[in-house]
Amino acid sequence: MRAGTLEQQERSFALALLVPALAVLVLTTTAPLVYLGWNSLHRIDLGMPWLSGFAGADNFAKMGSDPRFWNSLLLTAIYTATTVVLQVAVGLALALLVLQIPKGQGLLRVAAILPIVLAPVVVGLFWRTLVLAPDVGLVDMVTRALGLGSHNWLGDPQLALISVIAIHTWQWTPFAFLVLLATLATLPPDVYEAARLDRAGAWQRFLHLTLPLIRPAVVMVVILRTMTALSAFAAIFAATGGGPGSATEILNLYAYRTSFSELNLGYGASLAVVLLAITMAISYAMFRLRRARR
Amino acid sequence: MTTTGALPRPGRAIALYALAGAVLAVWAFPVVWGLLTSFKTERDVLAYPPVWIFTPTLANYRDVLFGPSSIVPNLFSSLVVASLATALTLVFGIPAAYAMARLRFPAKKTTGFYVLATQMLPPVGLIIPYYLALQKVGGLDTYAGLVVIDLTFSLPFAIWLLVSYFEDVPVEMEEAALLDRAGRVRALWHVILPQVKGGIAVTTIFVFLNAWNEFMFAVVLGGNRVRPVTVAMFNFISVEQTQWARLAAGAMLAMAPVILLGLFAQRHIVKGLTVGAVKGGGRR
Amino acid sequence: MSPPIRRRDALKQGAALGAAAALGPVAGSVFAQADDLAPYRAAKINWKQAEGETITVAVIPASYFENLISLEPQFEALTGVKVRFEKVPPGQIRQKALLDLSSKTATYATHAADPMYYPLYVSNHWVDPLDKYLNDATLTDKAWFNYDDILKAWRDADSIDGRPYGIPYDGEVTVQVYRKDLYDAKGLKPADTLEQLVANAKALTDASARTYGLALRGFAGAGQNMYIYPSLFREFGGSWMQGNAVVVNSPQAVQALQWYVDTLTAYSPPAVRNWNWPDIADAFSQGTVACYIDAHSSAAVITNPEKSKVVGKVAYARWPKGPNGKRVTSIWNWGFPINAALSDKQKKATWLFIEWAASAETQARTSWKFAGPAKRSGVNRVSAWRSSEFAAAMKDAGDNFISAALESLENDTDVDWRPRVPQWPAIGETMATAIQAALVGQKKPKEALDEAQARITQILKG
Repeated sequence: MRAGTLEQQERSFALALLVPALAVLVLTTTAPLVYLGWNSLHRIDLGMPWLSGFAGADNFAKMGSDPRFWNSLLLTAIYTATTVVLQVAVGLALALLVLQIPKGQGLLRVAAILPIVLAPVVVGLFWRTLVLAPDVGLVDMVTRALGLGSHNWLGDPQLALISVIAIHTWQWTPFAFLVLLATLATLPPDVYEAARLDRAGAWQRFLHLTLPLIRPAVVMVVILRTMTALSAFAAIFAATGGGPGSATEILNLYAYRTSFSELNLGYGASLAVVLLAITMAISYAMFRLRRARR
Repeated sequence: MTTTGALPRPGRAIALYALAGAVLAVWAFPVVWGLLTSFKTERDVLAYPPVWIFTPTLANYRDVLFGPSSIVPNLFSSLVVASLATALTLVFGIPAAYAMARLRFPAKKTTGFYVLATQMLPPVGLIIPYYLALQKVGGLDTYAGLVVIDLTFSLPFAIWLLVSYFEDVPVEMEEAALLDRAGRVRALWHVILPQVKGGIAVTTIFVFLNAWNEFMFAVVLGGNRVRPVTVAMFNFISVEQTQWARLAAGAMLAMAPVILLGLFAQRHIVKGLTVGAVKGGGRR
Repeated sequence: MSPPIRRRDALKQGAALGAAAALGPVAGSVFAQADDLAPYRAAKINWKQAEGETITVAVIPASYFENLISLEPQFEALTGVKVRFEKVPPGQIRQKALLDLSSKTATYATHAADPMYYPLYVSNHWVDPLDKYLNDATLTDKAWFNYDDILKAWRDADSIDGRPYGIPYDGEVTVQVYRKDLYDAKGLKPADTLEQLVANAKALTDASARTYGLALRGFAGAGQNMYIYPSLFREFGGSWMQGNAVVVNSPQAVQALQWYVDTLTAYSPPAVRNWNWPDIADAFSQGTVACYIDAHSSAAVITNPEKSKVVGKVAYARWPKGPNGKRVTSIWNWGFPINAALSDKQKKATWLFIEWAASAETQARTSWKFAGPAKRSGVNRVSAWRSSEFAAAMKDAGDNFISAALESLENDTDVDWRPRVPQWPAIGETMATAIQAALVGQKKPKEALDEAQARITQILKG
């Protein structure tokens, strides 16, 4: 067949396969995005309807001097970075350790599924009421038994941030664990034998042999977990609602509260736009990272 | 399952088993606790220190399944929404992913990034536009409405996930199928798709899971007819009191399908995810 | 026991006896109650003038609405209007109602409305003024409906500038709830002043035995800790508005918040900072707390033999007086407004629903006449509160229940209990955050309130 026709054939086939999905996406995302952008350029405050009108870039300018906005950015960065690093580190460490006890692996892999499949809103609610409640919660009972006293895990601003990070990490570390465990298990043992003969220490073996071999898996886990962390909403919402005050108010939650609690739809829309820009920038970087590794 | 070294010494083994046990407890305790609570009477639930030995009762499950606030219609709602969303995602997503992985066409990179970007949309910003849009077309409180909205998030995710599986299919196999005068569609259906069975399974599970566990849009865009379990559970948290035991029973029933799905498909999930990762890294 | 005869059928057909008897066992609890529509027919209006319409009403999951929902078939039989109820979680109902009202989608004909939201609704023209419905003789039989019988405090809470925008359906009042037995054992009387309240709390607090003398809501939220604080604020003599500005950091505000913080820190369980009223009620019913101030309807929880260990040991009293000699209780109620985006006929149907739900007969049928276990205690009419049937139904609630609640409703309510401005949602949230920050010790009361003031000024400026 001549190259030209083959190419055309391929192209029309590709289009036929793509068009349905793309049509759905364009339909469901374009109009809302336009609406969002439109709102972000206006002053829409349901509490003060007489002030509504076109605002140009005012909402965005206001963001620059809004301490609560910068706070939410900082919290988003801390939350995302901490949870992802913890998940990978803990997941990897667990996987390495558990590899050495094949009998325990099966049961652990089954248990690992449980946190992942629970609905985030249920997880947040559960942790708030049964685990982190002062006095009667599980964590408090443990700390009091250990002599560390009772604390307001969700009511104290610093502890609240640690708590929501703990909740997210708890739910998603099993994912990293499962993936890395399975990856490690497929590594060829003979390479390790050779290294052992070479008198290389365990840490050296890990650093120079294991890590490079599992790098693609780690990268994939990091990407997936980062995306989840950036869009985390339901669990924090159920656990703290963004509080106390603004202690756990990541950008996601700040936009929600601005729109729905303070009824400032224009500003809320602009916050959502900024969040979108940030997530797109990060996902672009991740996209490139993955391509480079491959 | 191979190990990366010799078996550990006995002392070390015990320590490791202890650690594994601790981790198991940490991961499993909410489900175990919820299960225990769901069989307690309300009075036992509030007892402090917590009672571990108590007379179990089925009253909570009876109330939750057959009582006035029965969650059976809600389970049905969730099932319909999640199943439809999953089915449609696969129908649209599999062909699209194949095209993106294997075929050449103009603006391929841009399309790829567009699909990835739509996954990045913050749900927070979309609640109001979706509410208004659905209302205009009469889609509020309908299965079609909620399913379409769920598609917005599950479709890009599915495509992105499936692309890596398609990319792992050996090029030679595909070329052979084409040379066989099989025709593109047949090649796709008979030769290539079976190769990505694992990937499709993984995608199905995750998409179903996400749709089943969805809360925010279910509350805003649903109503009386379309009322998934995630929303219905709040019926037990009224302003007057929290009915802990019934809430636990409701939560157990609500999560049972996905827990079972996860347990059953656990091997698949892990295999599928790792195959995509390792092979993809090693080859190119 | 044979089911009561449906008079309408008997009148129409005369042979309905057999039909009713056959339907009786199948029809269930609705027929077991008095579904006789004669009390409604006594109203000189045409109940069927909106026949054929269907309306959707949004409510929260709560027993007082469940009772009403179970009576819907009666309403439908009376008017030919079908009512669909949608139960929305309390955390989301305001948002959902707001979405509907502001985008004029007319999804909910009416909803259980937070009275603090009426200024917002009215300034946006989202709800109809109800005086025109009340005064329309074809829609309302004034003598029969007796609008003035509804508790004045609640009527005022649902009105703006003297015009009603919502009709109260169910409400509550905050009162002191205490353990009669513990107080008697120590020779204590229910507190008459805030100092006495503190003294009582001190006498009954023994942290090592896990018993505490007092609990008040701490959970951050416009409807949570900002439900108790305004009473304290007003009892210390504070006022929300100074001219047109909302001022939250006046000296009285700081004093009130300081009192709140000090008292809870000393005499409440440490977890109280996260507690909402169900948590307090649970703690009280387990014997952990000796006294609390919260809604009277919590009586249903603390006297529930299924959960509570203190049944028969409960008594009630009014709020203790503050430094300025006043007692200030809450004026919470769930009322029904009419969505302005509806068609005229739908508005009529909605008004008939509201009239029916708030009528004396329906109030009775959802309270002492209700066949199920939960008898409403938040009835909206003075006549209902004073009736002997209500007293009989509430006899297990504890000592002094009706008199404490009714006296509070008649004397201690204060329309300016919270700032009635359209920006209330944002203000409420900001104040709730500040109160919690002070409660957990993160900020001193003055600092927390100053910050709140700065933010509120900004919100009001826009």
